[in-house]
Amino acid sequence: MAVQLGYENVYRDPVGFPAWKEQGLPVAATPWCPPEGDGSESCPGPTSGLALVWTLLGVFAGGLALNLTPCVYPLIPITVSYFGGQSPGSKARLAVHGLLYLVGLAVTNSLLGVAAALTGGLMGAALQHPVVVVGVALVLVIFASSLFGFWELRLPAGLTRAASRSYMGYFGAFFMGLTLGVVAAPCIGPFVLGLLTWVAGQGSAWLGFIVFFTLSLGLGTPLFVLALFSGSLDRLPRSGEWLLWVRRLMGWVLLAMAAYFLRPLLPQAWGVFLLGAVALLAGLHLGVLDRTAAVGRALAGLKGAAWMAGIIIATLMIGSWALRGPGVAWQPYSDSLLAQAQKLGKPVIIDFAADWCAPCRELEDITFHHPQVVEKAAKAFVMIKVDLTRKGNPQSQALLVRYQVKGVPTVLFLDKNGQECKDLRLVDFLPPEPFLARMDAAAGK
Amino acid sequence: MPLKRSILLALAALLLAGGALWVAHRPAPPPRQATLEDVRREAEAGGYRLITTAELGQRYQQEPAGLLLVDTRQDWEYRAGHIKGAVSFPLEPSAWGRWRAKKPLAALLGPDKNRLVVFY
Repeated sequence: MAVQLGYENVYRDPVGFPAWKEQGLPVAATPWCPPEGDGSESCPGPTSGLALVWTLLGVFAGGLALNLTPCVYPLIPITVSYFGGQSPGSKARLAVHGLLYLVGLAVTNSLLGVAAALTGGLMGAALQHPVVVVGVALVLVIFASSLFGFWELRLPAGLTRAASRSYMGYFGAFFMGLTLGVVAAPCIGPFVLGLLTWVAGQGSAWLGFIVFFTLSLGLGTPLFVLALFSGSLDRLPRSGEWLLWVRRLMGWVLLAMAAYFLRPLLPQAWGVFLLGAVALLAGLHLGVLDRTAAVGRALAGLKGAAWMAGIIIATLMIGSWALRGPGVAWQPYSDSLLAQAQKLGKPVIIDFAADWCAPCRELEDITFHHPQVVEKAAKAFVMIKVDLTRKGNPQSQALLVRYQVKGVPTVLFLDKNGQECKDLRLVDFLPPEPFLARMDAAAGK
Repeated sequence: MPLKRSILLALAALLLAGGALWVAHRPAPPPRQATLEDVRREAEAGGYRLITTAELGQRYQQEPAGLLLVDTRQDWEYRAGHIKGAVSFPLEPSAWGRWRAKKPLAALLGPDKNRLVVFY
Protein backbone atom coordinates (compact mmCIF):
# COMPACT_ATOMS: atom_id res chain seq x y z
CA MET A 1 0.00 0.00 0.00
CA ALA A 2 1.07 3.54 -0.47
CA VAL A 3 -0.22 7.06 -0.22
CA GLN A 4 -2.04 7.84 -3.49
CA LEU A 5 -1.52 11.40 -4.66
CA GLY A 6 -1.48 11.00 -8.43
CA TYR A 7 2.18 11.57 -9.18
CA GLU A 8 3.52 9.85 -12.30
CA ASN A 9 7.23 9.41 -11.77
CA VAL A 10 7.39 7.84 -8.36
CA TYR A 11 10.18 5.41 -7.56
CA ARG A 12 11.36 3.61 -4.51
CA ASP A 13 14.85 2.46 -3.77
CA PRO A 14 14.29 -0.60 -1.57
CA VAL A 15 17.84 -0.81 -0.28
CA GLY A 16 18.25 2.93 0.07
CA PHE A 17 20.82 4.56 2.21
CA PRO A 18 23.16 1.71 3.24
CA ALA A 19 23.83 0.69 -0.38
CA TRP A 20 24.19 4.33 -1.40
CA LYS A 21 26.77 4.95 1.26
CA GLU A 22 28.63 1.79 0.31
CA GLN A 23 29.05 3.02 -3.26
CA GLY A 24 30.67 6.18 -2.03
CA LEU A 25 27.95 8.52 -3.30
CA PRO A 26 27.50 11.89 -1.58
CA VAL A 27 25.96 11.75 1.88
CA ALA A 28 25.21 14.29 4.57
CA ALA A 29 24.38 14.14 8.24
CA THR A 30 22.90 16.37 10.88
CA PRO A 31 24.93 15.51 13.92
CA TRP A 32 23.22 15.21 17.31
CA CYS A 33 26.43 16.14 18.99
CA PRO A 34 27.78 19.39 17.55
CA PRO A 35 31.55 18.96 17.37
CA GLU A 36 32.24 22.38 18.89
CA GLY A 37 30.41 23.56 21.99
CA ASP A 38 27.89 26.11 20.75
CA GLY A 39 26.09 26.64 24.02
CA SER A 40 23.94 29.54 22.87
CA GLU A 41 21.47 27.37 21.01
CA SER A 42 17.94 28.19 22.12
CA CYS A 43 15.07 25.97 21.11
CA PRO A 44 11.70 27.72 20.98
CA GLY A 45 10.35 25.73 23.88
CA PRO A 46 6.71 25.32 24.83
CA THR A 47 6.81 28.51 26.89
CA SER A 48 5.95 31.26 24.46
CA GLY A 49 2.70 32.54 22.99
CA LEU A 50 0.09 30.05 21.95
CA ALA A 51 2.36 27.12 22.78
CA LEU A 52 2.19 28.17 26.43
CA VAL A 53 -1.60 27.90 26.35
CA TRP A 54 -1.36 24.34 25.07
CA THR A 55 1.27 23.46 27.64
CA LEU A 56 -0.96 24.83 30.39
CA LEU A 57 -3.97 22.93 29.07
CA GLY A 58 -1.89 19.77 29.18
CA VAL A 59 -0.79 20.56 32.71
CA PHE A 60 -4.42 21.16 33.73
CA ALA A 61 -5.40 17.78 32.32
CA GLY A 62 -2.48 16.27 34.21
CA GLY A 63 -3.81 17.87 37.39
CA LEU A 64 -7.23 16.35 36.77
CA ALA A 65 -5.57 12.98 36.24
CA LEU A 66 -3.76 13.31 39.56
CA ASN A 67 -7.16 12.84 41.17
CA LEU A 68 -6.83 9.17 40.23
CA THR A 69 -4.07 8.84 42.80
CA PRO A 70 -5.55 8.19 46.23
CA CYS A 71 -3.46 11.07 47.61
CA VAL A 72 -6.53 13.22 47.31
CA TYR A 73 -8.78 10.92 49.35
CA PRO A 74 -7.94 12.50 52.70
CA LEU A 75 -9.09 15.85 51.33
CA ILE A 76 -12.51 14.51 50.35
CA PRO A 77 -14.08 13.93 53.77
CA ILE A 78 -12.60 17.19 55.05
CA THR A 79 -14.04 19.13 52.14
CA VAL A 80 -17.43 17.51 52.60
CA SER A 81 -17.60 18.14 56.32
CA TYR A 82 -16.39 21.73 55.96
CA PHE A 83 -18.87 22.73 53.29
CA GLY A 84 -21.61 20.46 54.54
CA GLY A 85 -21.35 22.05 57.97
CA GLN A 86 -21.97 25.52 56.68
CA SER A 87 -25.35 27.08 57.05
CA PRO A 88 -27.33 26.73 53.85
CA GLY A 89 -26.86 29.91 51.86
CA SER A 90 -27.52 30.80 48.28
CA LYS A 91 -25.97 28.73 45.52
CA ALA A 92 -23.89 31.69 44.35
CA ARG A 93 -22.44 32.21 47.81
CA LEU A 94 -21.49 28.55 48.01
CA ALA A 95 -19.86 28.76 44.58
CA VAL A 96 -17.74 31.75 45.62
CA HIS A 97 -16.71 29.91 48.78
CA GLY A 98 -15.79 26.84 46.79
CA LEU A 99 -13.81 28.92 44.34
CA LEU A 100 -11.87 30.63 47.13
CA TYR A 101 -11.18 27.25 48.68
CA LEU A 102 -9.85 26.01 45.34
CA VAL A 103 -7.64 29.08 44.86
CA GLY A 104 -6.31 28.72 48.40
CA LEU A 105 -5.33 25.12 47.71
CA ALA A 106 -3.67 26.10 44.46
CA VAL A 107 -1.72 28.96 46.02
CA THR A 108 -0.24 26.74 48.73
CA ASN A 109 0.59 23.98 46.31
CA SER A 110 2.23 26.24 43.77
CA LEU A 111 4.23 28.18 46.35
CA LEU A 112 5.52 24.91 47.77
CA GLY A 113 6.25 23.58 44.30
CA VAL A 114 8.09 26.64 43.06
CA ALA A 115 10.07 27.05 46.25
CA ALA A 116 11.08 23.42 46.16
CA ALA A 117 11.97 23.47 42.48
CA LEU A 118 14.02 26.66 42.61
CA THR A 119 15.77 26.41 45.96
CA GLY A 120 16.52 22.76 46.41
CA GLY A 121 17.27 21.81 42.87
CA LEU A 122 16.94 18.20 43.83
CA MET A 123 13.72 18.79 45.70
CA GLY A 124 12.68 15.18 45.48
CA ALA A 125 15.26 14.52 48.14
CA ALA A 126 13.30 16.64 50.59
CA LEU A 127 9.87 15.31 49.67
CA GLN A 128 11.03 11.73 49.62
CA HIS A 129 13.13 11.81 52.71
CA PRO A 130 12.38 8.57 54.61
CA VAL A 131 10.75 10.50 57.45
CA VAL A 132 8.33 12.22 55.06
CA VAL A 133 7.64 8.98 53.20
CA VAL A 134 6.87 7.08 56.37
CA GLY A 135 4.69 9.98 57.51
CA VAL A 136 2.67 10.01 54.30
CA ALA A 137 2.31 6.22 54.39
CA LEU A 138 1.14 6.44 58.00
CA VAL A 139 -1.52 9.02 57.12
CA LEU A 140 -2.72 6.77 54.31
CA VAL A 141 -2.90 3.75 56.63
CA ILE A 142 -4.83 5.75 59.24
CA PHE A 143 -7.36 6.87 56.66
CA ALA A 144 -7.60 3.31 55.37
CA SER A 145 -8.39 2.04 58.84
CA SER A 146 -11.16 4.63 59.03
CA LEU A 147 -12.58 3.36 55.74
CA PHE A 148 -12.46 -0.18 57.14
CA GLY A 149 -14.73 1.06 59.90
CA PHE A 150 -12.30 0.88 62.84
CA TRP A 151 -13.05 4.48 63.73
CA GLU A 152 -15.26 7.26 62.48
CA LEU A 153 -13.58 10.12 60.70
CA ARG A 154 -14.51 13.47 62.15
CA LEU A 155 -12.86 16.84 61.98
CA PRO A 156 -11.13 17.86 65.18
CA ALA A 157 -13.63 19.72 67.33
CA GLY A 158 -11.53 22.86 67.36
CA LEU A 159 -11.40 23.04 63.61
CA THR A 160 -15.13 22.50 63.29
CA ARG A 161 -15.85 25.21 65.82
CA ALA A 162 -13.47 27.58 64.12
CA ALA A 163 -15.06 26.88 60.79
CA SER A 164 -18.55 27.48 62.11
CA ARG A 165 -17.72 30.69 63.93
CA SER A 166 -14.96 33.10 63.15
CA TYR A 167 -13.75 31.79 59.81
CA MET A 168 -17.17 31.56 58.28
CA GLY A 169 -16.53 34.38 55.85
CA TYR A 170 -14.98 34.27 52.45
CA PHE A 171 -11.57 34.49 54.01
CA GLY A 172 -12.38 31.34 55.95
CA ALA A 173 -12.81 29.27 52.82
CA PHE A 174 -9.61 30.69 51.35
CA PHE A 175 -7.77 29.96 54.58
CA MET A 176 -9.07 26.38 54.66
CA GLY A 177 -7.72 25.89 51.16
CA LEU A 178 -4.36 27.38 52.09
CA THR A 179 -4.03 25.04 55.06
CA LEU A 180 -5.19 21.87 53.36
CA GLY A 181 -2.82 22.34 50.44
CA VAL A 182 -0.09 21.18 52.79
CA VAL A 183 -1.86 17.83 53.22
CA ALA A 184 -1.86 16.90 49.56
CA ALA A 185 1.49 18.32 48.48
CA PRO A 186 4.01 15.74 49.75
CA CYS A 187 1.91 12.85 48.50
CA ILE A 188 1.64 14.24 44.99
CA GLY A 189 5.33 15.14 44.81
CA PRO A 190 6.62 11.93 43.22
CA PHE A 191 4.05 12.12 40.44
CA VAL A 192 5.09 15.58 39.34
CA LEU A 193 8.82 15.03 39.71
CA GLY A 194 9.31 15.48 35.98
CA LEU A 195 7.44 18.78 36.14
CA LEU A 196 9.56 19.94 39.06
CA THR A 197 12.72 19.16 37.16
CA TRP A 198 11.38 21.01 34.15
CA VAL A 199 10.52 24.09 36.19
CA ALA A 200 13.93 23.99 37.83
CA GLY A 201 15.45 23.82 34.35
CA GLN A 202 13.48 26.86 33.16
CA GLY A 203 14.69 28.79 36.15
CA SER A 204 11.80 31.26 36.05
CA ALA A 205 9.83 31.52 39.27
CA TRP A 206 6.92 33.27 37.57
CA LEU A 207 6.53 30.60 34.90
CA GLY A 208 6.91 27.88 37.53
CA PHE A 209 4.17 29.46 39.61
CA ILE A 210 1.79 29.60 36.65
CA VAL A 211 2.48 25.97 35.80
CA PHE A 212 1.99 24.69 39.34
CA PHE A 213 -1.06 26.91 39.81
CA THR A 214 -2.66 25.40 36.70
CA LEU A 215 -1.79 21.93 37.93
CA SER A 216 -3.37 22.59 41.29
CA LEU A 217 -6.49 24.04 39.69
CA GLY A 218 -6.85 20.82 37.74
CA LEU A 219 -6.23 18.85 40.90
CA GLY A 220 -8.80 20.84 42.86
CA THR A 221 -11.60 21.05 40.32
CA PRO A 222 -13.28 17.81 41.45
CA LEU A 223 -13.01 19.05 45.04
CA PHE A 224 -14.71 22.28 43.96
CA VAL A 225 -17.58 20.29 42.46
CA LEU A 226 -17.72 18.25 45.64
CA ALA A 227 -17.92 21.44 47.68
CA LEU A 228 -20.86 22.64 45.60
CA PHE A 229 -22.78 19.45 46.18
CA SER A 230 -21.82 18.70 49.74
CA GLY A 231 -24.49 21.09 50.97
CA SER A 232 -27.14 18.75 49.68
CA LEU A 233 -25.23 15.59 50.53
CA ASP A 234 -27.01 15.15 53.85
CA ARG A 235 -30.28 14.69 52.10
CA LEU A 236 -29.12 11.63 50.19
CA PRO A 237 -30.85 8.39 51.20
CA ARG A 238 -28.89 6.28 53.67
CA SER A 239 -26.12 4.41 52.04
CA GLY A 240 -26.84 0.82 51.25
CA GLU A 241 -24.78 -2.22 52.04
CA TRP A 242 -22.83 -1.90 48.85
CA LEU A 243 -21.44 1.45 49.93
CA LEU A 244 -19.75 -0.29 52.84
CA TRP A 245 -18.07 -2.59 50.37
CA VAL A 246 -16.92 0.35 48.25
CA ARG A 247 -15.48 1.97 51.39
CA ARG A 248 -13.45 -1.16 52.07
CA LEU A 249 -12.26 -1.15 48.48
CA MET A 250 -11.09 2.46 48.87
CA GLY A 251 -9.36 1.44 52.06
CA TRP A 252 -7.38 -1.20 50.22
CA VAL A 253 -6.48 1.28 47.50
CA LEU A 254 -5.07 3.56 50.20
CA LEU A 255 -3.11 0.67 51.71
CA ALA A 256 -1.69 -0.19 48.28
CA MET A 257 -0.69 3.45 47.93
CA ALA A 258 1.08 3.33 51.28
CA ALA A 259 2.95 0.20 50.18
CA TYR A 260 3.89 1.93 46.94
CA PHE A 261 5.38 4.84 48.88
CA LEU A 262 7.27 2.59 51.26
CA ARG A 263 8.68 0.45 48.48
CA PRO A 264 11.76 2.56 47.71
CA LEU A 265 12.83 2.22 51.34
CA LEU A 266 12.82 -1.57 51.17
CA PRO A 267 15.16 -3.97 49.39
CA GLN A 268 13.79 -4.66 45.94
CA ALA A 269 12.50 -8.18 46.53
CA TRP A 270 10.72 -7.05 49.69
CA GLY A 271 9.04 -4.20 47.86
CA VAL A 272 7.68 -6.51 45.19
CA PHE A 273 6.40 -9.02 47.73
CA LEU A 274 4.84 -6.30 49.86
CA LEU A 275 2.81 -4.97 46.91
CA GLY A 276 1.91 -8.50 45.86
CA ALA A 277 0.79 -9.35 49.37
CA VAL A 278 -1.39 -6.25 49.57
CA ALA A 279 -3.06 -7.18 46.27
CA LEU A 280 -3.65 -10.74 47.40
CA LEU A 281 -4.99 -9.78 50.82
CA ALA A 282 -7.25 -7.18 49.24
CA GLY A 283 -8.69 -9.83 46.95
CA LEU A 284 -9.14 -12.24 49.85
CA HIS A 285 -10.81 -9.67 52.08
CA LEU A 286 -13.04 -8.05 49.46
CA GLY A 287 -13.88 -11.23 47.58
CA VAL A 288 -13.90 -14.25 49.85
CA LEU A 289 -14.11 -13.18 53.48
CA ASP A 290 -16.47 -10.25 53.02
CA ARG A 291 -19.78 -10.95 54.78
CA THR A 292 -21.75 -8.07 53.32
CA ALA A 293 -25.19 -9.41 52.61
CA ALA A 294 -25.41 -9.90 48.88
CA VAL A 295 -28.02 -7.34 47.92
CA GLY A 296 -27.94 -8.21 44.28
CA ARG A 297 -26.06 -10.11 41.67
CA ALA A 298 -23.97 -7.07 40.83
CA LEU A 299 -22.20 -7.17 44.17
CA ALA A 300 -21.55 -10.91 43.92
CA GLY A 301 -19.97 -10.29 40.52
CA LEU A 302 -17.88 -7.44 41.91
CA LYS A 303 -16.62 -9.64 44.71
CA GLY A 304 -15.58 -12.34 42.28
CA ALA A 305 -13.86 -9.74 40.12
CA ALA A 306 -12.00 -8.31 43.12
CA TRP A 307 -10.80 -11.77 44.15
CA MET A 308 -9.59 -12.54 40.64
CA ALA A 309 -8.01 -9.11 40.19
CA GLY A 310 -6.09 -9.51 43.43
CA ILE A 311 -4.67 -12.87 42.37
CA ILE A 312 -3.86 -11.66 38.86
CA ILE A 313 -2.08 -8.52 40.04
CA ALA A 314 -0.07 -10.42 42.65
CA THR A 315 0.93 -13.14 40.17
CA LEU A 316 1.89 -10.69 37.46
CA MET A 317 3.91 -8.57 39.82
CA ILE A 318 5.88 -11.35 41.42
CA GLY A 319 6.09 -13.38 38.22
CA SER A 320 7.44 -10.63 35.99
CA TRP A 321 9.92 -9.68 38.68
CA ALA A 322 11.14 -13.28 38.94
CA LEU A 323 11.29 -13.83 35.17
CA ARG A 324 13.12 -10.62 34.46
CA GLY A 325 16.46 -10.94 32.74
CA PRO A 326 19.67 -9.23 33.78
CA GLY A 327 19.83 -5.47 33.70
CA VAL A 328 22.44 -3.03 32.52
CA ALA A 329 25.73 -3.49 34.38
CA TRP A 330 26.33 -0.04 35.84
CA GLN A 331 29.66 1.21 37.04
CA PRO A 332 30.21 3.90 39.65
CA TYR A 333 31.60 7.18 38.38
CA SER A 334 35.31 7.81 38.31
CA ASP A 335 37.44 10.19 36.25
CA SER A 336 39.70 7.39 35.12
CA LEU A 337 36.71 5.43 33.78
CA LEU A 338 35.72 8.43 31.67
CA ALA A 339 39.27 8.84 30.38
CA GLN A 340 39.42 5.16 29.56
CA ALA A 341 36.16 5.34 27.62
CA GLN A 342 37.55 8.24 25.59
CA LYS A 343 40.71 6.29 24.85
CA LEU A 344 38.67 3.31 23.65
CA GLY A 345 36.46 5.62 21.59
CA LYS A 346 33.33 4.46 23.40
CA PRO A 347 30.32 6.69 24.06
CA VAL A 348 29.25 7.03 27.69
CA ILE A 349 25.84 7.11 29.31
CA ILE A 350 25.61 8.66 32.76
CA ASP A 351 22.41 8.03 34.68
CA PHE A 352 21.71 10.30 37.63
CA ALA A 353 19.16 8.43 39.72
CA ALA A 354 17.87 8.00 43.23
CA ASP A 355 15.96 5.21 44.92
CA TRP A 356 13.12 7.51 45.88
CA CYS A 357 12.34 8.75 42.41
CA ALA A 358 9.54 6.93 40.63
CA PRO A 359 10.55 7.67 37.01
CA CYS A 360 14.12 6.56 37.80
CA ARG A 361 12.82 3.21 38.97
CA GLU A 362 10.68 2.95 35.90
CA LEU A 363 13.69 3.65 33.69
CA GLU A 364 15.70 1.05 35.56
CA ASP A 365 12.96 -1.59 35.67
CA ILE A 366 11.76 -1.29 32.08
CA THR A 367 14.26 0.44 29.82
CA PHE A 368 17.50 -0.68 31.45
CA HIS A 369 16.22 -4.25 31.66
CA HIS A 370 15.19 -4.44 28.02
CA PRO A 371 17.31 -7.20 26.40
CA GLN A 372 18.34 -5.08 23.41
CA VAL A 373 19.30 -2.10 25.54
CA VAL A 374 21.32 -4.36 27.85
CA GLU A 375 23.09 -5.97 24.90
CA LYS A 376 23.92 -2.71 23.16
CA ALA A 377 25.08 -1.15 26.40
CA ALA A 378 27.41 -4.05 27.12
CA LYS A 379 28.84 -4.03 23.62
CA ALA A 380 29.37 -0.41 22.72
CA PHE A 381 28.88 1.79 25.78
CA VAL A 382 30.38 2.65 29.10
CA MET A 383 27.45 2.83 31.51
CA ILE A 384 27.85 4.96 34.62
CA LYS A 385 25.30 5.40 37.38
CA VAL A 386 25.49 8.27 39.85
CA ASP A 387 23.37 7.45 42.88
CA LEU A 388 21.86 10.54 44.46
CA THR A 389 19.72 8.74 47.05
CA ARG A 390 21.82 10.17 49.85
CA LYS A 391 22.87 13.77 49.79
CA GLY A 392 26.32 15.06 50.56
CA ASN A 393 28.68 13.02 48.42
CA PRO A 394 31.14 15.71 47.24
CA GLN A 395 31.97 13.86 44.03
CA SER A 396 28.31 13.62 43.01
CA GLN A 397 27.77 17.27 43.91
CA ALA A 398 30.66 18.24 41.66
CA LEU A 399 29.15 16.23 38.82
CA LEU A 400 25.77 17.91 39.31
CA VAL A 401 27.40 21.30 38.90
CA ARG A 402 29.62 20.23 36.03
CA TYR A 403 26.80 18.81 33.93
CA GLN A 404 24.16 21.24 35.21
CA VAL A 405 21.88 18.48 36.41
CA LYS A 406 18.71 19.99 37.87
CA GLY A 407 16.98 16.89 39.17
CA VAL A 408 16.47 13.20 38.82
CA PRO A 409 16.13 11.33 36.62
CA THR A 410 18.72 12.79 34.28
CA VAL A 411 20.44 10.65 31.68
CA LEU A 412 23.42 12.14 29.84
CA PHE A 413 24.88 10.85 26.60
CA LEU A 414 28.55 11.59 25.94
CA ASP A 415 29.87 10.90 22.47
CA LYS A 416 33.13 9.12 21.88
CA ASN A 417 35.08 12.36 22.36
CA GLY A 418 33.59 12.84 25.79
CA GLN A 419 31.36 15.74 24.67
CA GLU A 420 27.80 15.73 25.98
CA CYS A 421 25.07 15.52 23.33
CA LYS A 422 22.71 18.08 24.80
CA ASP A 423 19.95 17.16 22.34
CA LEU A 424 19.83 13.67 23.73
CA ARG A 425 19.64 14.48 27.42
CA LEU A 426 16.71 12.80 29.19
CA VAL A 427 14.90 14.08 32.25
CA ASP A 428 12.01 11.65 32.31
CA PHE A 429 11.12 8.04 31.66
CA LEU A 430 11.64 6.88 28.07
CA PRO A 431 10.53 3.50 26.69
CA PRO A 432 13.19 1.12 25.31
CA GLU A 433 12.67 1.73 21.56
CA PRO A 434 13.29 5.47 21.49
CA PHE A 435 16.05 4.97 24.02
CA LEU A 436 17.77 2.61 21.58
CA ALA A 437 17.52 5.33 18.94
CA ARG A 438 19.24 7.78 21.27
CA MET A 439 21.95 5.24 21.96
CA ASP A 440 22.55 4.90 18.23
CA ALA A 441 22.64 8.65 17.85
CA ALA A 442 25.19 8.99 20.64
CA ALA A 443 27.29 6.24 19.06
CA GLY A 444 27.25 8.28 15.86
CA LYS A 445 25.65 5.64 13.70
CA MET B 1 -18.72 -16.42 48.51
CA PRO B 2 -19.00 -20.23 48.49
CA LEU B 3 -15.66 -22.00 48.83
CA LYS B 4 -16.01 -23.94 45.59
CA ARG B 5 -16.62 -20.80 43.58
CA SER B 6 -13.69 -19.03 45.22
CA ILE B 7 -11.33 -21.84 44.30
CA LEU B 8 -12.59 -21.98 40.73
CA LEU B 9 -12.17 -18.24 40.28
CA ALA B 10 -8.70 -18.38 41.82
CA LEU B 11 -7.63 -21.09 39.39
CA ALA B 12 -9.02 -19.12 36.47
CA ALA B 13 -7.15 -16.01 37.62
CA LEU B 14 -3.90 -17.94 37.99
CA LEU B 15 -4.29 -19.36 34.50
CA LEU B 16 -4.94 -15.92 33.03
CA ALA B 17 -1.98 -14.34 34.79
CA GLY B 18 0.30 -17.24 33.93
CA GLY B 19 -0.74 -17.03 30.28
CA ALA B 20 -0.08 -13.31 30.17
CA LEU B 21 3.36 -13.82 31.72
CA TRP B 22 4.17 -16.53 29.21
CA VAL B 23 3.13 -14.34 26.27
CA ALA B 24 5.20 -11.45 27.55
CA HIS B 25 8.32 -13.50 28.21
CA ARG B 26 8.42 -16.11 25.44
CA PRO B 27 11.46 -15.78 23.18
CA ALA B 28 10.66 -13.50 20.27
CA PRO B 29 10.92 -15.02 16.78
CA PRO B 30 13.61 -13.41 14.61
CA PRO B 31 12.11 -10.67 12.42
CA ARG B 32 11.46 -11.87 8.87
CA GLN B 33 13.59 -10.19 6.23
CA ALA B 34 11.51 -8.90 3.31
CA THR B 35 12.46 -10.69 0.09
CA LEU B 36 12.83 -9.01 -3.28
CA GLU B 37 9.57 -10.67 -4.32
CA ASP B 38 7.72 -9.02 -1.40
CA VAL B 39 9.10 -5.62 -2.34
CA ARG B 40 8.06 -6.08 -5.97
CA ARG B 41 4.53 -7.11 -5.03
CA GLU B 42 4.22 -4.16 -2.68
CA ALA B 43 5.34 -1.73 -5.38
CA GLU B 44 2.77 -3.11 -7.78
CA ALA B 45 -0.01 -2.77 -5.24
CA GLY B 46 1.09 0.75 -4.36
CA GLY B 47 1.38 1.92 -7.95
CA TYR B 48 5.03 2.97 -7.93
CA ARG B 49 8.17 1.62 -9.60
CA LEU B 50 11.41 0.37 -8.15
CA ILE B 51 14.81 1.80 -8.82
CA THR B 52 18.21 0.33 -8.07
CA THR B 53 20.80 2.27 -6.16
CA ALA B 54 23.12 2.20 -9.20
CA GLU B 55 20.53 3.77 -11.47
CA LEU B 56 19.53 6.29 -8.84
CA GLY B 57 23.17 7.23 -8.44
CA GLN B 58 23.48 7.81 -12.18
CA ARG B 59 20.43 10.04 -12.36
CA TYR B 60 21.53 11.82 -9.23
CA GLN B 61 24.79 12.80 -10.84
CA GLN B 62 23.35 13.65 -14.24
CA GLU B 63 20.51 15.98 -13.27
CA PRO B 64 20.32 16.60 -9.53
CA ALA B 65 17.94 19.55 -10.01
CA GLY B 66 14.98 17.58 -11.34
CA LEU B 67 15.13 14.90 -8.66
CA LEU B 68 13.35 14.94 -5.34
CA LEU B 69 14.69 12.49 -2.78
CA VAL B 70 12.47 11.71 0.19
CA ASP B 71 13.88 9.94 3.22
CA THR B 72 11.01 8.08 4.88
CA ARG B 73 13.04 6.63 7.73
CA GLN B 74 12.86 7.84 11.31
CA ASP B 75 14.06 11.31 12.13
CA TRP B 76 17.07 10.02 14.07
CA GLU B 77 18.11 7.79 11.18
CA TYR B 78 18.05 10.80 8.87
CA ARG B 79 20.12 12.80 11.31
CA ALA B 80 22.69 10.05 11.56
CA GLY B 81 23.23 10.06 7.80
CA HIS B 82 21.26 10.49 4.58
CA ILE B 83 21.69 10.96 0.86
CA LYS B 84 22.92 14.48 0.31
CA GLY B 85 20.01 16.68 -0.73
CA ALA B 86 17.30 14.34 0.51
CA VAL B 87 14.36 15.66 2.53
CA SER B 88 13.33 13.94 5.73
CA PHE B 89 9.74 12.79 5.88
CA PRO B 90 9.32 10.09 8.53
CA LEU B 91 6.54 7.76 7.42
CA GLU B 92 4.98 5.14 9.65
CA PRO B 93 4.31 1.88 7.81
CA SER B 94 0.67 1.72 8.90
CA ALA B 95 -2.68 2.72 7.44
CA TRP B 96 -3.06 5.42 10.07
CA GLY B 97 0.45 6.76 9.36
CA ARG B 98 -0.24 6.92 5.62
CA TRP B 99 -3.59 8.63 6.11
CA ARG B 100 -2.04 11.21 8.36
CA ALA B 101 0.86 11.79 5.98
CA LYS B 102 -1.31 12.52 2.97
CA LYS B 103 -1.66 16.28 3.25
CA PRO B 104 1.85 17.21 4.40
CA LEU B 105 3.30 14.87 1.80
CA ALA B 106 1.33 16.56 -0.99
CA ALA B 107 2.61 19.91 0.23
CA LEU B 108 6.17 18.59 0.25
CA LEU B 109 6.02 17.13 -3.26
CA GLY B 110 4.56 20.24 -4.85
CA PRO B 111 2.07 20.73 -7.68
CA ASP B 112 4.16 19.21 -10.48
CA LYS B 113 2.70 15.73 -10.93
CA ASN B 114 5.35 14.67 -13.44
CA ARG B 115 8.41 15.38 -11.41
CA LEU B 116 10.74 12.57 -10.51
CA VAL B 117 10.28 11.50 -6.90
CA VAL B 118 12.32 8.79 -5.24
CA PHE B 119 11.51 7.44 -1.79
CA TYR B 120 13.85 5.40 0.32
